[in-house]
Parts: sequence; structure tokens; C-alpha cells
Amino acid sequence: MKKRFFNFVFPWKLSQAGVLSMNRRNYAIIAHHNKRRLFPLVDDKVQTKKLANEIGIQTPRLIASVQAQYEVKNFLKLVQGYKSFVIKPAHGSGGKGVLVIKSYTKNYFKTASNRVLRYREVYQHISNILSGLYSLGGRYDTALFEEMVDFSTVFKNFSYQGIPDVRIIVFEGYPALAMMRLATKESAGRANLHQGAVGVGIDIKTGKAIAAVQHNKPIQFHPDTGADLMTLQVPFWHEHLIMAAKGFEMTGLGYLGADIVLDKNRGPMVLELNARPGLAIQIANQTGLASILKKIEQTYPKNLSVDERINFVLTQTHK
Amino acid sequence: MKRKFLSIRFWLTLGLFCSILFAAWRIYHKVADWGFNLSPNRNIPVWTIESHLTFKPIGKDIRIKLARPTDTNEYKVLDETIIASGYSVEKNKDSFILSREKAQKTQNIYYRIVVYDNKEGQIETKSFIKPKINVVSEFDDVSLPIAREILETVKQKNGDFVQNLIQTLNNPESNEIVLSFMPDKKDAFELTEIIQNLLALEKIPSRLIRGIQLEEGRKTSVPDVMIEVYHAKENRWQIYHIHSGETGLPKDFVVLQRGGASLVDVTGGKDSRIKYSILKSLNSSFGMAKYRAKSENQEKLFSYSIYSLPINQQNMLKWLMIFPLAILIVVILRNIIGLKTMGTFTPMLISMALVETGFIPGLIAFTLVVGVGLAIRMGLSKLNLLLVPRISAVVVFVILIIQMSAVIGYQLDWTVASSALFFPIIILAWVIERASIICEEEGLRNACKEVFCSVLVAVITYFVIVNNTIRHIMFAFNELNLVILFIVMLLGTYTGYRLTELKRFAPLVQYRNKK
Repeated sequence: MKKRFFNFVFPWKLSQAGVLSMNRRNYAIIAHHNKRRLFPLVDDKVQTKKLANEIGIQTPRLIASVQAQYEVKNFLKLVQGYKSFVIKPAHGSGGKGVLVIKSYTKNYFKTASNRVLRYREVYQHISNILSGLYSLGGRYDTALFEEMVDFSTVFKNFSYQGIPDVRIIVFEGYPALAMMRLATKESAGRANLHQGAVGVGIDIKTGKAIAAVQHNKPIQFHPDTGADLMTLQVPFWHEHLIMAAKGFEMTGLGYLGADIVLDKNRGPMVLELNARPGLAIQIANQTGLASILKKIEQTYPKNLSVDERINFVLTQTHK
Repeated sequence: MKRKFLSIRFWLTLGLFCSILFAAWRIYHKVADWGFNLSPNRNIPVWTIESHLTFKPIGKDIRIKLARPTDTNEYKVLDETIIASGYSVEKNKDSFILSREKAQKTQNIYYRIVVYDNKEGQIETKSFIKPKINVVSEFDDVSLPIAREILETVKQKNGDFVQNLIQTLNNPESNEIVLSFMPDKKDAFELTEIIQNLLALEKIPSRLIRGIQLEEGRKTSVPDVMIEVYHAKENRWQIYHIHSGETGLPKDFVVLQRGGASLVDVTGGKDSRIKYSILKSLNSSFGMAKYRAKSENQEKLFSYSIYSLPINQQNMLKWLMIFPLAILIVVILRNIIGLKTMGTFTPMLISMALVETGFIPGLIAFTLVVGVGLAIRMGLSKLNLLLVPRISAVVVFVILIIQMSAVIGYQLDWTVASSALFFPIIILAWVIERASIICEEEGLRNACKEVFCSVLVAVITYFVIVNNTIRHIMFAFNELNLVILFIVMLLGTYTGYRLTELKRFAPLVQYRNKK
């Protein structure tokens, strides 16, 4: 495909395609559907975990948390008995500050991307989390130690290292749009689309791939593994939908993004909820979000239970 | 939900319209009444003419008539003050009448007028009302034939008759008849009288103009005179210089009286003397606004405006007044264009610093400091320092770099290096810290992109705020800030696409169309 620098479309074309703009997301969607006092529920992963477990949503188990610098030196004692673990900041976003330790000895730690770190470096990382390096606004933070998700091998060929996860946008409790994010060599094992990860649009009813993009451009095969992305099918899709939809009851957020990973043994688990999910999902799906949100707001019934909502979504016909 | 959303926009739009109307009204008044200019002003010379009248009372009731200049096109009177204790003052269209009962001591009366050169109005003298046609000349039987002869000689010359007449009379040596006609010693008044008489013989109306030739520090006891002649054909008055015959009002000449017997008329006094002193001062249009506001009865309004503050506070405000515009630009570039910048107002602060340093030196200094800072910061990240100490270390490093470049710049006489001093240290440290974090997390390309975007926004903002005219307008017409406020708030409800999104989502539309 020819690379064009000035590749613009007219705004009315975008609005015809129902594309949600950043300004509209911030003004009309987030400001009107997400109350500000609810934000801490999803910004703090400790709280999210607690709420999720109360309502029956599975999350990776919390091993321990560290709040003060003097506790950092004991961190090996905290994870005693676990073969692997994940360190993450409670207030982090976009996967920043997440360190996945696959295996470790007293002095050396092996990460998910097979990098070997020394004790000092891991210690430093935890310490950085506490001093707020990865938190929003640089506030003092808590470091979480989580059990490592035993990733399902279903996606093995679709991702270069890293953790493939499913992002589902839930609006007023109804799953609206879904995508899968696959790490690439270029994204260095991360699942962030703007760093070069692959985004695969997932059909909201079936869990099957419908389109895939990398760097905003449509692709068919994974750039590193060569797998045909169109053959992707997320297993336990119904469970994914229910789990995401429950996020509405759990947090009260009208517009939220649920990040879900698939554990080999425990099934789908919510990794985190996001009160300001991004807009790249539209490109991955080749579908505008604005028209879907409008339809949900205007025609979908209110006050349904989770199961009723999912059934309602599944019986909807495409236009 | 929908309704509320509409009404917010409705009220903001209404507010915007009101603020535009208000601003337009205030701008009109500031221009028309206070004399504010749309372009940044050169200083305008303002002249103070002080007339000092002294006389001795003769024991009767005193009545003084002082001619006051009516607003002419050439000069605009900003202020008039009369200092005359014990007198009652009556203000007429073209004169003041001062009166009091008898007094004993020598009387001192001061009359001060402040005028300024009204350049725009100087192009043409308005045509005045048609004068009375029957003009009489006063020549006795002896001089009448000589006068006729002089007129005949002048008539034979080509060109402007009046001009020729004046020139002939001013060079009596060239013509014996004229020489015999003119008195030996003549002052300006006598000369004017002769000219007027000769013109009267030709049935040409004329009148005396009394005024003051403005000259810094000048003191005089007699007013300057000019002659104004009526041209019936063109139906207009024309001013002539009584010595050179040149037409038109000379530069820096203020007309105090047209026609009329005298500038000052004292009844009930003797030995009256008048002395004019002239002072020139340079004033900005803001300085003059005070006078003009006073003459328009808007003194209260003016004293509660920013222009009545002390100059140093005004300068401070002049600097502040440009901020809203800079903010507006940042809002537009971020929310309408969609440029990503480091921190919301970092680019604005960089552009402010650029104003201090100058464009090219500022950019070079900025690049230099950020470049060196980034290199040092990369080294620091190897030390694995904690967040707060690390940022603090960056701040200290930035200070050291600035210090060094200032010293080197001074020694090598290289001003570019010393201009680094003007950048806010915290902003530089923040840019370095942000850039290096982005670089670590998202790669060098993204880091450079973000720094470039921030600098781009700063440069655009710089070119707007460095413009002298724009700065002047934002200060002189500060109600524009209200308009900006509403524009910014309205932009806060803008939900359309950003320019960058037209590119970002382009593949979406194009791919759909292919399907």
C-alpha cells in the first residue's frame, strides 16, 4: 500500500461512518455518563479488585501490597511460595510500570520477555512505584503483587510475547464494541496500539475476528508470527460479555472499558477497568462508536439485569 | 441530557454575542472619546499654552473677556483650566467671561490650555460661513491713489493675487511706491491692517487670525498673527502667512481666535500685560486619554480603568493581557487541530520566554539546554534514582547548564548562549523529564514528536504574541479578553473532529468503502 502522508478524509465522511471524536468522547460521553467521584473505583486497582470479587467477577489474585518504602526490602518474603508473580502500580494506566516475573531466584529475576534483572533493579522498580513514577499525577502509590495469569495457549500464535487481552467497551451496561490487542516485536511485548501492537476487531455477538489493524492500517497476518488474524476466535465469549457488562453494576460508570485476559484454568478474568477508554478500538473494528452509542442510548431498554442485557445485545440485528 | 447540552451552548453563545457587543461599544468609545489608536502609537506631542494676565485694577468692577480656542480641525483642545481666585467664570462658545467686584492689588490670572496635534483632521480647513460682503476700507484721500496703484501693479503679476500682494508689501525696496506707502517700523498687526485694507478695496473679505506658534520653551507677550482671506469663487477661507505669503496653516500653529478685536479684553483695569509660555511634552495615547475622558465627562470611568494605574503596573498588565490570547491559541491547537503537547501550558511559557530572548537565539538556547539536559538525564536513569530526587537533580543540572552557558556566552560575547537565562527552569526540567520518560517507554521517535509538537505550538504562539500591534490592541482594548473568555468556553463544548483525527480515522472510512 502506498504510504501517503497527507491522507485525510472530510469530517462529514467520519460523521457518516459514526466515528466518535476525542472531543465528543470527553464532553458528551465521559462528562455526562461517568461521575467524577466514581473514577477512583477504577483508577485504584486495589479497590477495583475488591469490588469485582464482591460482585463475582474474577480477577488475578492479589498476593500482597506494599505501601511504604521500608516494606520494600521484605518483598521476597511476601511472594514466598509463588513461582511467578506480577508487580504493578495500583494507580497505573496503560500497562505502565507492570513487571511480570516468570521465574526467580534470590538474586535474579526473569521477566516475561526473558530479560534477566538483578535483585537491586526489581527493588528499585518497586520503590519507583511507591514514589509515584507510574501513577496519575505522580502521587504516592501502592505496589501490588499479583498472581501471574496462566495464559491460555489459544492465542499463542497470535501474539509475540506479551499478554493478549480483550478490551470491551460497555455503554450503559451494554457491550458496544470489542477488540483484541496482540503484542508484536515492535511494541516490545506491550499491548498498546500506538506502540505498534496489533488491534483485532471482535464481533460483539460471536467473538470472532472481523478486522485487524497495525499502525492504523488494515492487515491480515500477524507481522511476527504470521498467523492469519481473521481466524481468531475468542473462547468463552459469552462469559467475556457477562463479565464486562457486570462492570456497569460494579462501578456505576456509564462508559467504561473492561480489559479481560483468559486464564488457562480459571477462565476470563478482569485485569482492569478503565473510565476513559481510548478511541483506537474504532479503527480495529473499522466501525464508528458514536452511532452505536447513540443507538444504545436511544433504543435499548433500561433497568435490565446483566443476563437480559447480554441476551438483548445478542438478538440485535445489524443494520 | 440533550436539552441541557444545547442550553449550555446557547447561553455561552449568548454570552459571546453580549461580550462582542460590549467590546464593540467600549472600543468605539475608547477610540472616539479617549483617542485610543488601533495601531501601537508613536508618542504624540502635547502642548501646554499658559497665558498669564496681569493688570492693575482702577477701583471699578472688573470684567475680563478671554478668547478661547474653539475646537479647530488642526488642533484638539484636551484640557482648559483657569486660575483666577475671586472671579466668577462664565464659559461661552468662544470666550470666557471673568468678572468680580472691585479689587485692590495687582491681579494675576492664569489660563492654561492643553492641545494636541490632530493630524488626521489637518488635511483641509472646513469652509466657514459666508462673510458679510460689504467690506469697507479706510484710506484717506492721499493714500487712496497710491493704494490703487499698488493694487494695479500686483494685478499684472501672474499667480495668486493675495500672495503677490503680501510679497510685494514685504519687499518695499523693490518698488518705490510701496516704500513710500509703508510705515518705517511696522509690527505684524500694522502689516495685517494694511493688507486687510488693500484687500477691502478690492472687495475681498479678510480677517485676522490670532494664535500661537508652538515652539518648545517659548515665551512671548504678543500672539502670532496670520491672515485669512475669503475666496468667493471657491467659497472658502484661505490662510496666508503675512510675511512670506505662503498659504495654509504653518506647522505647530494653534489658532486661538479668528476675527475678533483682541484675545484679552479687560474693563476696570489698566496696564494689562499678557505673557504666553509654551511647553511641549510627549504623551502616549494612554496618557492623553485622561484629558480626553475629562472633556467627555468620563473622568470616573477612566479613573477606574487600568490606564490610570502607575506606569510600572500598567506594563505588568500589558504583559498579562496577552495571556488570554496565548491561551486561546493553545486551546485551538490542542482541541481543534489536535496537537499533543507536553503539559497544557508548557508551550505558552516557552513562547513567553522566546519573547524575552528573541526568536532564533531563544530556540537555539532551548535546544541546547534540553539536548544537554536529556543526555545528562539518560545518564541519571542508569543510577536508578527515586523520582523526587531525580527530578530535583535534573533541575539542578538545568541551573548548572544555564549558568555555564551564561558565563561562556558573556566571555565569548555570544548572546545566544546567555539567552538561556530567560527560560523558566522548572519548565525546562519538566520538558527534559517528560521527554526522557516518553523516550524510555515509547521510544525516541515519540519523544521527539512530542517535543517537536510542543515547540511548534510555542512558535505559533510566539508569532502571535510578539506582534506589537496585537499586544497593543489586547492592552488598549482589554474588553476583548471577555470575548476570548467566551470563545474559550464555547470551544469547551466543541465536540467535532480534530484536524489530526481526520488523518487518524481516515483508514477506517477508506477501508469500509472498499468492503
